[in-house]
Amino acid sequence: MKSPLQTIAPDVIMHPLKQPKPESAELSPEMKLVREALFKHVGKPIPRKEDGRLITGKGRFSDDFSLPGQTYAAIVRSPYPHARILGIDKSEALASEGVLLVLTGEDILADDIKPIPHNPVPSTNFDMKLRAKDGSHAFTGPHYLLPSDKARHVGEAVAIVVAETAAQAADGAEKVVIDWEELPYVTDTAKAAAPGAPTIWDEVPDNVFIDTTFGDKEGTDAAFARADHVVKAEFHIQRVTGVTMEPRSSLGSYDPETGRYTLYAGSGGAVRQKNELSKVLGIEPKDLRVLSFDVGGNFGTRNRVYVEFGLVLWASAKIGRPVKYTATRSESFLTDYQGRDLVTKVELAIRKDGKFLAMRADNLSNVGGRAVSLSPLSKGSGLITGSYDIPYATLRARAVFSNTMCTQAYRSSGRPEVTYAIERLVELAADQLGFDKLELRRMNLIPPSAMPYTNAVGSVYDSGEYEKNMDRALELSGWATFDARKAEAATRGKLLGRGFANYVESSIGTPKERAEIEIKDDGNIEVVIGTQPSGQGHETSFAQVVADMIQVPVEKVWIVLGDTDIVSVGGGSHSGRSMRHAGTVMAMASAGLLAEGRKRAAELLGSTADRIDFEGGVFKLRNSNRTIDIFELGRRTRESHGPLRVVKDNEMHTPVFPNGAAVCEVEIDRDTGHVQIVRYTTIDDVGRCINPLIVHGQTHGGIAQGVGQAMWELCAIDQNSGQPLAGSFMDYGLPRSDTMPSFKCEIAEVISPTNPLGIKAGGEGGTTPALATVVNAVVDALSEFGVKDIQMPVTPANVWRAMNSGRKAS
Amino acid sequence: MSRVTITVNSMPQTRDVEDRTLLVQFIREHLGLTGTHVGCDTTQCGACTIHLDGQAVKSCTVLAVAADGSEVTTIEGLADGGTLHPVQQAFHEHHGLQCGYCTPGMIMASVDMIRRHDGMLDEHTVRHELEGNLCRCTGYHNIVKAVLDAAEKHRAAHAVAPE
Repeated sequence: MKSPLQTIAPDVIMHPLKQPKPESAELSPEMKLVREALFKHVGKPIPRKEDGRLITGKGRFSDDFSLPGQTYAAIVRSPYPHARILGIDKSEALASEGVLLVLTGEDILADDIKPIPHNPVPSTNFDMKLRAKDGSHAFTGPHYLLPSDKARHVGEAVAIVVAETAAQAADGAEKVVIDWEELPYVTDTAKAAAPGAPTIWDEVPDNVFIDTTFGDKEGTDAAFARADHVVKAEFHIQRVTGVTMEPRSSLGSYDPETGRYTLYAGSGGAVRQKNELSKVLGIEPKDLRVLSFDVGGNFGTRNRVYVEFGLVLWASAKIGRPVKYTATRSESFLTDYQGRDLVTKVELAIRKDGKFLAMRADNLSNVGGRAVSLSPLSKGSGLITGSYDIPYATLRARAVFSNTMCTQAYRSSGRPEVTYAIERLVELAADQLGFDKLELRRMNLIPPSAMPYTNAVGSVYDSGEYEKNMDRALELSGWATFDARKAEAATRGKLLGRGFANYVESSIGTPKERAEIEIKDDGNIEVVIGTQPSGQGHETSFAQVVADMIQVPVEKVWIVLGDTDIVSVGGGSHSGRSMRHAGTVMAMASAGLLAEGRKRAAELLGSTADRIDFEGGVFKLRNSNRTIDIFELGRRTRESHGPLRVVKDNEMHTPVFPNGAAVCEVEIDRDTGHVQIVRYTTIDDVGRCINPLIVHGQTHGGIAQGVGQAMWELCAIDQNSGQPLAGSFMDYGLPRSDTMPSFKCEIAEVISPTNPLGIKAGGEGGTTPALATVVNAVVDALSEFGVKDIQMPVTPANVWRAMNSGRKAS
Repeated sequence: MSRVTITVNSMPQTRDVEDRTLLVQFIREHLGLTGTHVGCDTTQCGACTIHLDGQAVKSCTVLAVAADGSEVTTIEGLADGGTLHPVQQAFHEHHGLQCGYCTPGMIMASVDMIRRHDGMLDEHTVRHELEGNLCRCTGYHNIVKAVLDAAEKHRAAHAVAPE
């Protein structure tokens, strides 16, 4: 079979797992360190170090910062989905009490403020290569802080008003008068790609700016031709939004004396913000300091630059005073980068004994008014065949502009979408062809003996025991005793249903990470790292790794992040990359630190480094009683050798493939169609688990976000006006404490061969199978009504309609 | 402008405020107590929950002038010096927080709930009564565990036998 990567990139990359291992390969110092590590802390459910400040009100979230002389910004937003800006009259706003400044798209051009360099096409060696139809690099739509031509979605920022107080800024924003010319609009994903749709960008008249086909088309066609059965389906994995509890906030200031800008803004990685915003402002990266301390949730929405971050910086230089902008919840609903929105058409070719032969998929991703990130389409593209051994597959991946807010990676970017497609398709196949749905899965699962396994679109799954996951999830969930529960529910007028889904996902992410580790004179160890937690507990789990490597108590290790004056390089936190990348580079830095320590200890103890042992944080001259503690060594050699400190860079491209299974039981009210989740069980192979308390917490939150999408969440848009209908917590269904069950979760640790610590990832596994698992359960509960499929979210209205029409509700 | 005096965490605080100032703005912006958070504009999320004269309320829906003469406790005033309140301790031990943004409101609501029920809580009641406090990180699993644990400790400390 021809490798799909080969057809796209002539200089094909040899996958490291597929390379023969050199016989004489010596263990690297960091691998040796990991092998010898006692793992006193790694693997333990240690409560988090960061909790102390967060439970006492001492967190440092973006809006908590204020600067002397601070002013406040309000944003004027487009009320139309698509409208040309014929003119903007600032005069009344400028005359409004307290208003200091009004800026528009014309000012952006006059000041030569550049578009945000989102670089939306994923480009690591192992990302699927997305291109325009003719194979060229795609036009992705420039993202100016304020547009000068037209607004492309409701809520698009078109002017900024700065005033003495937040209330005055809001008052002033109402007085900016804009002369609009309304244009035809399209918000629906499929309609945006249909012939004759209104054009969003003149450069791409048909709106479809990515159109790439992956896989072995001839092989797929041949397999379909000889198949006994073909099962087809079409799904829309609807638009949702991240809903971080902390609305996005930014505080910009400019110091004319040093010519430096400072930005306080929580994000998914301060280094990216610094690099991209300095390009927007046309300044050197060193002239922008970005601070991002406690971040109130991210889930992908904060990974990219927001226009308001650039606007407060630009405005602060113009008025010579700090400018703060904090979004209201309604602004967050309108203009936080949103998630999902994929239409997928899938077909599965099946032999009469149930063996899967081939798959075809046609995926269409709605990116909104411009492309901020194609991560969802790309990530999903590599995983269309899911956990199953399907020898041939062809995927057409397209992306389309529309008059909606931009989409971005959202919790498990792209993977829940394709997992939904394959796991729903398998259910439909079992139903249509009369197979047991679990047995059909089982006979097609990729066996451990096939690892590392290259799937039909070229992704190399590193490791995993898929059938074992499946067995364990079924056992934990009480699958075998379901009938008794169903009968009991029926006595109460409830329909009980159960759903199952397997999943495999990929964690790729920015390949570079840097760690700096220093032994401080005060008996602590300081670790500087460029990831950015927003609740994932890096300050604890990272400390556990370093504490084990350097053999000191975990309380002595302090993680420093979020200030670009200290953290110079860092990939940020996305795609489940942080623990794996940071863990690896911290292990490497620790090995380097101990090597330097041995050298210094040898000098002090009058010997050579190869005669120095290290144990329990103490260097010891072999066959003697002469020892020196690592902190003492740092103190004693600081003057002569400088601080005991190591900086290590690492670049790691090989992706990992976390995997697992989930089971859900739902109870549906016969009369109202109300769905209640009564049981939820997961098993997640996260590779080596550093802190099970934290990993379980990640799973719980991930489940809630996946379940939320299946059950309630939807960025609804009124088709007759293009207006978003979900603008507050009153009209967007977030999971609440009384609508969620307690979960039964177990971690499986199949160590990944791709990195020294054997880590996969633990942040997204809860979400990935949840959409399919819930919908499978709902369809199962409704089987007596002849329901075969149902559109998410499974609101009472959708369920009731399905029950009463006996076919797919829309 | 109006002059208001509110006792916050046992300290009387007098400020001149615009009449439209919300209690949460008074706490965050006038007093600089940023532990109380704002998560929405519609009294839905509960991130701003504080105790007003001993009862949990959402401080985004009370005008500062309406709280004139009242006693307010915020998350900063909950611990007893260096000793965490049992509910704070329970959230820490059970990993009942991730990003920590909803946490102050969750804790203030939970303290009030445990007090009102004298610690006689079960999972259903906790889930029902926390419905007005939104969390996006934890799926509520560990929050519920933390509240139940704190309630049990409250019962033990006050020698109330469970039903």
